[in-house]
Amino acid sequence: MIGFVVRRLLQLIPVLLVASLGVWAMIYAVPGGPVGMLVGENATPEQIKAVTAQFGLDQPVLVQYAAWLQKAILGDLGRSIHTREPVLDLIAQRLPATLQLGLAATLVGLVIGVPVALASATWPGSWLDRGLSLWSALALGVPTFWLGILLILFFSVEMRWLPSASGYAPLLTSPAEALRNLLLPAVTLGVYVSGIFARFLRAALVEEMKADYIRTARAKGVGEREVVGRHALRNALLPFVTIVGLMLANFIGGAVVTEAVFTYPGLGRLLIQAISTRDYPLIQGCILVILVIYVLINVLVDALYAVIDPRVEYA
Amino acid sequence: MSAALIRHVLRRPGALAGSLFLLVLILVAVFADALPIDPLGQDLIASLEPPSAAHWFGVDELGRDIMARVVYGARTSLFTAAGAVLIAGAVGVPIGLVAGFFGGWRDALLMRFVDVLLALPGILFAMAMIAVLGRSQAAALVAVGVTGIPSFARVTRAQVLSLRKRDFVAAVEAFGGTATYSMFRTVLPNAWSPILVQVVVLSSVAILLEAALSFLGVGIPPPTPSWGEMLRTGKAYLHDAPHYAVLPGLVLTLTILSLDAIGRALAGALEQRQDVSVGLGASGGRP
Repeated sequence: MIGFVVRRLLQLIPVLLVASLGVWAMIYAVPGGPVGMLVGENATPEQIKAVTAQFGLDQPVLVQYAAWLQKAILGDLGRSIHTREPVLDLIAQRLPATLQLGLAATLVGLVIGVPVALASATWPGSWLDRGLSLWSALALGVPTFWLGILLILFFSVEMRWLPSASGYAPLLTSPAEALRNLLLPAVTLGVYVSGIFARFLRAALVEEMKADYIRTARAKGVGEREVVGRHALRNALLPFVTIVGLMLANFIGGAVVTEAVFTYPGLGRLLIQAISTRDYPLIQGCILVILVIYVLINVLVDALYAVIDPRVEYA
Repeated sequence: MSAALIRHVLRRPGALAGSLFLLVLILVAVFADALPIDPLGQDLIASLEPPSAAHWFGVDELGRDIMARVVYGARTSLFTAAGAVLIAGAVGVPIGLVAGFFGGWRDALLMRFVDVLLALPGILFAMAMIAVLGRSQAAALVAVGVTGIPSFARVTRAQVLSLRKRDFVAAVEAFGGTATYSMFRTVLPNAWSPILVQVVVLSSVAILLEAALSFLGVGIPPPTPSWGEMLRTGKAYLHDAPHYAVLPGLVLTLTILSLDAIGRALAGALEQRQDVSVGLGASGGRP
C-alpha cells in the first residue's frame, strides 16, 4: 500500500517538473522579460544591469531555474510586486476560504446528486428517470455565473435574506456568519457538481444492476429499492469516490468564476487580482500551489480507491 | 454526416429544439449587419431602460441596445468556438492518432505532454496563458483552444487503439500499406464518429470558457461585444436593471443547453449504430 502511494508520487515528479518549468518560464514570455518587470519601462541601462546582476538573471537559464525551484520547494515563492508581502503568506491567507467553499459545495452536490441517481437507477427509463436526467442536463448546462446572478437577484436583491457579496468567516468559530456567507456560492457550485455526481452514479448503478449478485438478490425476494440502495450502491460507490475527489480538487482554484460572482475571498480571486495587476510572482505562486494541491489530491484519491476496494491491486 | 444520422439526432425533442435555436442564432449572427440593429449606437437618455417594443432586451448603461449587443456577441461566441475547436482538433487529433497507432515511446511521450495540459483546471490554464500572451482576441482564442487539446487527443487515441486490432487494418498492413497510409487512409476515416461528438461537446465548452474569461475580465477586450462581458457589467446593475445580466445570460445558457442536447443525441445515435463508447466529458471537469 505505502509502496503504491510512493510509486504514484514518483510518477508525479516528471509532470510536476515540466509544469513548474512552464510556470517559471511564464515570466520570460512577459514583454520586457523579468528585468523589465522589475525595473519598469523607464529604467536606465545602469539600473537594468544592476537588477540583472542582483537577481542572478545573468546566470545560465537552467541555473536560474534550479535556483528558483530550490527556493520554491523550500516555500519561498518570492514577494508580491504590489504589496511586497511574501507570496506564500498571501496564498495561505486565502486557502481556508477556498477549502471551506470547496467542501461545502461538494456536500451540496452530494445531498442533491446521490438521491437523484438512486431514484433514477431504481426506475430506469421511467418518467421520473427522464425528468431527473433533465435536471442533470440543466445543472451541467447552466453557467455557474448566470445561476449565481439569478440567486443573488432573488435572495439578496428581492428578498434581502442573504448578502450579495460573500466574505469569509471560519465555520468552526462563527458558524452562523459562515453559513450566511457560504450558502449562495456553495449552492451555485453544488448544483453544478450535483449534475456530474448524479449522471456518474446513475451510470455506475445501472451497470452494477447487470451483475449476477443482483439477480441472486432479486431471486431471494429482496425489494427493488433495497437492491439498488444497498447491494448495487455499495459497489457503485467505489468508482464514485474518484469523481468526488476529482471535483474537490477542481474547486481548489477552479472555483474562480463563482468566487468572482460572489466576490468571495478565495484563491481563485487572488489569482484574478494578480493577473489584472500583472503581479507575476503572485501569478506564478498561485498557479504553482494550485497545481501541486490539484495533483496531490488526484494521487490521494487513487490511494483511497485502493484502500476502499480490496480488489484493486496496488501494482 | 449521413442523412440517417441527422434524422436519428433530430428525433430527440431536446436535440431538435437545440438545433432550431442554434440555426436561428447562427443565421442572426451571420446576417447581423443586414438587421436593423446597432450595437454601438448610444441613446443615453434611455440608459438602463427595461425591455420595451423599441428595445426588446432593454438598454445598457451606455444607452446601447442590449439585443443588438447579444446578436453581435453571438458572432464573438460562435467565432471563438469554431476557432478554438479547430486549434484543439488540429493539434489533438494528430497527437491521439500517432500515440494510439504507434504506441511505445511515442505514446508515452505524447500522452505525458497531454497530462501536463491537464495538470490544472481548464479555466486556470487559459488564464495563465492569457497572463503571458496579454489580453486580446487572439489570446482568448488560443487559450480556449489549447485547453481542448487533451480531450481530442484522448478520444482519438482510444478510438485508434480499438481500431488497430481490427482485421481490416491488419489486412492493409499485410498488403504492404505503409504506416502513414494505414494511419491516415484506413484508421482515421473510421475514427471520426467520437471525434465528431467531441467537436460538439468542445464547442459548448469553448463558448462557456470564453464567456467565463470575459466575465472575469480577462477574455476578449471591449468594445467587442461578448456575452461574458455583458454579464460582468450587468452584474453591477442588478438593483436598477436586472434585465441587463439576466437576458444575455439566458441566451448563453440556451446556447450551451442546445449544444449539450445535440452532443448527447449524437453520442447516443452513434453508440446505437456501432459499438463505440464515446466519453462525454462533462464541461470543465475531467472525464
